Amino acid sequence: MGSRFAVEARLLHKEFISRSGFWHTKTKTTVAVQEITFRVNKGELFGLLGPNGAGKTTTVKMLSTLLLPTAGTISILGYDAVKQTQEVRKRIGFTFGGARGLYGRLSARDNLRYFAELYGLEPAVTQRRIPELLELVGLSYKTEDRVETFSSGMQQRLHLARALLHDPELIFLDEPTVGIDPVGARELRSTVKELIARGKTLLLTTHYMAEAEELCDRIAIIKQGSIVALDTPAALKRSISGDSLIDVQVKKESLVVLKEHLARLDGRSSMQVLDAPPFKTISIRTPEPGAVMQLLAPFLNPEFILGLEVRNQTLEDVYVAIIQGEQA
Amino acid sequence: MNSAVLRNIRLYFMQAWFSYRALYAWNTPFTYFVSKFGFSFFAMLLFVFMGKYVGLGNPVYIVIGNILLIPSMNSMSGVSLAVADEKRFGALSYLIGSPAGRAPVFLGRALFPVLDGFITAAVALPVALLIFQLDLSKTNLWLLLGCVLLISFTTSGVGFILGSISLVNRDGWMITSSIAVGLYILVGVNFPVAVLPPFLRVISYGLPMTRGILAARMALAGASWAAVSQLVFGEIIVGLIYAAAGYALFRLIERRCLISGALDNL
Amino acid sequence: MIGRFFRLVVRQMNVQLQIRIFNQYTILLFFLQPLVFSTVGMILARAAGNQTPDLVYTVIGGGIMGMWSGLVFTSTYDIARDRRDGMLELIVGSPTPLARVEAIRTFANVLAGLVSLAAAFLAAVLIFKYSLAGANIPAALLSLLLILFGMWCIGIFLANFLVWSRLGGTMVEFVELPVAVLCGFMYPLRVLPVWMQAISAVLPISWALQALDESLSGGRDLALLGPQWGLAFGISLVFWALSLWLDGKVHDRVRITGELNSI
Repeated sequence: MGSRFAVEARLLHKEFISRSGFWHTKTKTTVAVQEITFRVNKGELFGLLGPNGAGKTTTVKMLSTLLLPTAGTISILGYDAVKQTQEVRKRIGFTFGGARGLYGRLSARDNLRYFAELYGLEPAVTQRRIPELLELVGLSYKTEDRVETFSSGMQQRLHLARALLHDPELIFLDEPTVGIDPVGARELRSTVKELIARGKTLLLTTHYMAEAEELCDRIAIIKQGSIVALDTPAALKRSISGDSLIDVQVKKESLVVLKEHLARLDGRSSMQVLDAPPFKTISIRTPEPGAVMQLLAPFLNPEFILGLEVRNQTLEDVYVAIIQGEQA
Repeated sequence: MNSAVLRNIRLYFMQAWFSYRALYAWNTPFTYFVSKFGFSFFAMLLFVFMGKYVGLGNPVYIVIGNILLIPSMNSMSGVSLAVADEKRFGALSYLIGSPAGRAPVFLGRALFPVLDGFITAAVALPVALLIFQLDLSKTNLWLLLGCVLLISFTTSGVGFILGSISLVNRDGWMITSSIAVGLYILVGVNFPVAVLPPFLRVISYGLPMTRGILAARMALAGASWAAVSQLVFGEIIVGLIYAAAGYALFRLIERRCLISGALDNL
Repeated sequence: MIGRFFRLVVRQMNVQLQIRIFNQYTILLFFLQPLVFSTVGMILARAAGNQTPDLVYTVIGGGIMGMWSGLVFTSTYDIARDRRDGMLELIVGSPTPLARVEAIRTFANVLAGLVSLAAAFLAAVLIFKYSLAGANIPAALLSLLLILFGMWCIGIFLANFLVWSRLGGTMVEFVELPVAVLCGFMYPLRVLPVWMQAISAVLPISWALQALDESLSGGRDLALLGPQWGLAFGISLVFWALSLWLDGKVHDRVRITGELNSI
């Protein structure tokens, strides 16, 4: 289909109804996703970030046809995800974080063969794809081993192989590196980059900011079911006014004095006190680091300040600021 | 009273209540009714019609036997599920990793399934008696209720053994189902144990329920405590042996898993 | 397309055999169930003064019980396990309709249940020394095929229902033994009250069982057997049609409630 977008979600909304009580049933409606609208370009690596329970997985499941939206429309590669479900399923792959979803008693190869049949692959293609994919995810040496002997990281990687069996155009990865060691996670990120280089489109959810910053072309930050920010990582960082961050480590006894002094900061700067046992850290966000340093100058001795760091904002800072509602 | 004893008593009842609430999926009166009466009621019907086909005129023996089995099945499956479901929900490692005593934690899990089964049988019995219009004038009612409660408790040991097996065997539920079905032959539900071949009779008297069901039938017919006391004491002893065996098996499995590192696999 | 379908059948049955059926406890279930029910039938018969157990209803009936119980157990457990292990989500998310996967799985489970029936027949011939000399074997085989077909159609319907809700496992309590009671696995339908016989009439297995009883007793009257076969086949098709209708509704409902992977 001719659309240049891999994903178009428009006013996507999802509510869950739960019932409790034995004799008198109480109904509770939970809004998991609130009328979100976004697009993913073909060939893009799009990130979806948000705290636990924000609605990331619910969004991914709607896009991957596993949940029906309560309202709104979804177009996947030009197909309506609600009305043309089978067409969408042929063209997408997905993995969800965690080690569930494999038959433990079957080998890696047999699990992949099973899914190959579910995706309608020809035997010749299956025979070629399985060793290629196991090689890609670093599991060639476990081809004939039962999946129940795999660690959770290995099962995650096998899931990625499963998701790629039918060579989908669009892949949803829901927290793909959860439970994987740093080396494995690095290899998986390398695999993800390779998929993008091959022209695939990926939508990734993750809690790891460094991963999102490294991989994603654009990021949407979702909070309580709504998208609160959507842009490139660089633009998101700039959106917090290009501020610098100054972290000042102080003794607990000096905290009050320093806070009183720093109260002279103009309104464009803000500060918060963080615990750094046995000390405290005053984290100051400011467009004028020089002015702040001048204010701190009288206290630059070990009686008051134990350490000081000036740094640029990371994506994590942006994320925290947005989620905690401190965006300028 | 010693604070450790009080603590364990509190732990027993709290574990019993929270375990029961947490692990039972029913949340409407309908699903509760189905889970309590479904299988037992239709099993009873099946055996009644089988008896009718071969010419047994009066189905009361079969009906009473199947009703008396309800608390046992409830207790057995409830306890084994309570143990096995801890594993399924991933809570077992946290339970075992806590300093709480194993006895109150796991024995407590028997309490509500047992009471639940007793109530189920106590409801089913009058209904069945009404349908078949039995004469209850001679029935030793308190003794009958006591026997029903006793059977509920004595079967919980079997539930522990089966629950412990479920911890190390993913098909434990099949073993539970197979043994549950075998009870229809072995414990005097559909016919007296006396008609079984000798080798099966030995197994029957080695199981809880056999003596308890017989005592309950006698109480229904008006027997006194003196007439059933030996059966009741025998039932208690067998029940305690199974409870001890279930607890011992659980501790053995726990220890072996701690040594082999297989606890996470639980 | 036919080749693809056939490959899917082979692959799905292979998976089913490996993960469910070639398992010592499933085998135990397939042997133990018929043994228990047949034993109860035999002891009850002896208590009533019949030394020779009835071939069809006591011996073979136990095998049919085992087949049916095995089918219900494995179908229930398959769905519950898939839901719990996250597999149901992945199957639904694939281009292959869940209904097709369930149909093949149920077929594998029904075939596996033949173990029970085979054990029952062997017991009848070798242990109880029944002779099948006068039996109408071709009619008995056709009746047996219709029993399998009927179980398969009801099994698919049941599988759909179990996907519908994670509380479907509770509803199985209203399926396994009630079907056995109403279809007359262990006794002829005339034993049931008239109102229950009316309910039996809507279950295909009851007609096929009557035909089996007639055939094994040497019956050759097509005027009697024909309608029984026809009703068994026709009602099975109705269940199959209901399953197809239910499939779409289940597929949508379970994606609305999000219960594809609930424990």
